[in-house]
Amino acid sequence: MLTIEDRQGIEQLLYREAHLLDERRFREWLDLLTDDIEYLMPLTEHVQGKVAPAGHPIIKDDKPTLMARVAKDETGWSHVEIPTSMTCHLISNILIDEESDGEVAVKSSFIVRQARKLRDEAWWVGRRHDRVRRVDDQWLIARRCIYLDATVLPRGVSIFF
Amino acid sequence: MSVLGELGSLVGWERGRIAPAIYFDPEVYRREQARVFAGGWVPVGHEDMVRNPGDYVANYVGEVPVIVARDRAGVIRVLVNKCRHRGNQVCLFDRGNVRGFTCSYHGWSYGIDGRLISVPEEQRFYHGALEKEKWGLEEAAVVNFCGLLFACLDREGPAFEDWLGEDVRWWLRHFVLAEPVGGLEALPGWHRYESPANWKLIAENFIGDNYHFAHTHTSWIRVRHAFQEQGILTPMTTAPHSALRDTAKYSVTAGYRSSAPLGLGAMLTDGEALHERDLQDARFLGKEAVEWVRDRDDRMSKALASCEPRPAYFGHGLLFPNLGLMGYVSPMTGKHFLLFHPRGPEAHEIWQWTMVEREAPEAVKELAVQRVYQGQHMAGVIAPDDVENFERIVEASHSPRAWRSPMNYDIHLGHDQDQLPHLPGNIGAEPSEVNQREFYRFWLELMEPDGDERGGQA
Repeated sequence: MLTIEDRQGIEQLLYREAHLLDERRFREWLDLLTDDIEYLMPLTEHVQGKVAPAGHPIIKDDKPTLMARVAKDETGWSHVEIPTSMTCHLISNILIDEESDGEVAVKSSFIVRQARKLRDEAWWVGRRHDRVRRVDDQWLIARRCIYLDATVLPRGVSIFF
Repeated sequence: MSVLGELGSLVGWERGRIAPAIYFDPEVYRREQARVFAGGWVPVGHEDMVRNPGDYVANYVGEVPVIVARDRAGVIRVLVNKCRHRGNQVCLFDRGNVRGFTCSYHGWSYGIDGRLISVPEEQRFYHGALEKEKWGLEEAAVVNFCGLLFACLDREGPAFEDWLGEDVRWWLRHFVLAEPVGGLEALPGWHRYESPANWKLIAENFIGDNYHFAHTHTSWIRVRHAFQEQGILTPMTTAPHSALRDTAKYSVTAGYRSSAPLGLGAMLTDGEALHERDLQDARFLGKEAVEWVRDRDDRMSKALASCEPRPAYFGHGLLFPNLGLMGYVSPMTGKHFLLFHPRGPEAHEIWQWTMVEREAPEAVKELAVQRVYQGQHMAGVIAPDDVENFERIVEASHSPRAWRSPMNYDIHLGHDQDQLPHLPGNIGAEPSEVNQREFYRFWLELMEPDGDERGGQA
């Protein structure tokens, strides 16, 4: 049974995460993810009738792949983040449900605005379905599935959600 | 003021000088829609996308929305997605399986073969005089070349064999579509993103620009090295690439000085080191993968027994006008098929699908696919840096003051001679800008002369 403190802890986890991403503290962000994190973004399509599912998602990262993305920007040669993007992650509509296996299912909605250079920008909107787990007294994200409300993405993805 | 009258001097492909006006002038863009996209053979997908009767996928030829469909009789058709009554879209989905399409405006209904089947109140309003057989969806000519589907909107357009020369078809069949080793299999789903700048800038990047890789993608190259040293394995940090020091590399131009070009960059000829590299990559996946790599190599050797040296892989490529190719550097990587759809002079959309070798073991397919969507893909570690460059080109070059200042395409200019004359096509030094020059040679051929001499086309 989740206590009020558990629910507050989980909400704080999501808000802390949003601030870490916006402040570009990506190493600290990685520490909020379990070592067996699955970080997914399925493909959004409009399909009609009986057809095979999409052959692969947009993103399916494990921790080493997420570390590689962070390391890429840290080289100082990642043109897509030079100058760095300004992002603001607005996280809302948080719904927390305890699962039978001891993990917790957390749904949230997001609006992320990404601003680049002088006037280039992208708006990313959607929902996240997370699984969070308590590890050594700390809530960590063990799985994240990002449902982006876009069939044609507004630009290449160089940020985290 | 349009530059249409100056194209001959602005597109100096023989001199290595191309003026940015052709990326920004709206009149050039408008003529391009008619001459390059509506007048030529444009790739629209793969037969796997429409395996069963009733299957369809939506796509574009230039700005024209089309439906690629397999009808009840098994015939693959390319239909313009536009009701003949008031020009409304009839298909709103990316892909599906249906009996037909009904327009949402007045309810005209078409079969999956494009025929007009029913019109509400036909007898009462049209007095039995509507010739339904004349009002089917507009249809393009279609060619299925080893599974790859091409459409030509102009029914009086060029013959397919004239558009793509014999050497282009040879490279497509043997390498791009891997026919000697069982062919490719398409995975369902369009992966799509908006990208800034004129479609030709990314097309010329794919056809010949291996020069940019070391600088544009340097951040990725550094991470790859660092992770390899630390022993951190991910599909992309272990992905084979063409930077084998002792392997000779070439640029391939098929259609050189003759037809719509197919340019392949960083073509590697077969060698022990390459085969060993592939086997080593396969060993991580076990015996079945290793055996498949060996068997595949044997079959390819037999199919290409007459080639000396034997072409093995290539790094990147483009089939004119807008089909980008990547993932051909090893049998252990999936194949990226990218369509660059024009969206006004200063923007394009990338519509991408993924292919794997049909006969590869499941474990190889799984890894190969990861290397597609983690690489030259909208959320990969490669493509977003390219998008960034194109955005900067628009900012720096869109002022009309810059339109006539030519850009430099000099690499190996005057040194295009064929180094491997026993292979089809023209094979030269790598990296080169010969394929960019060939791209613009053919583009200019289509864009000139002016409209009056071409029967008044735009």
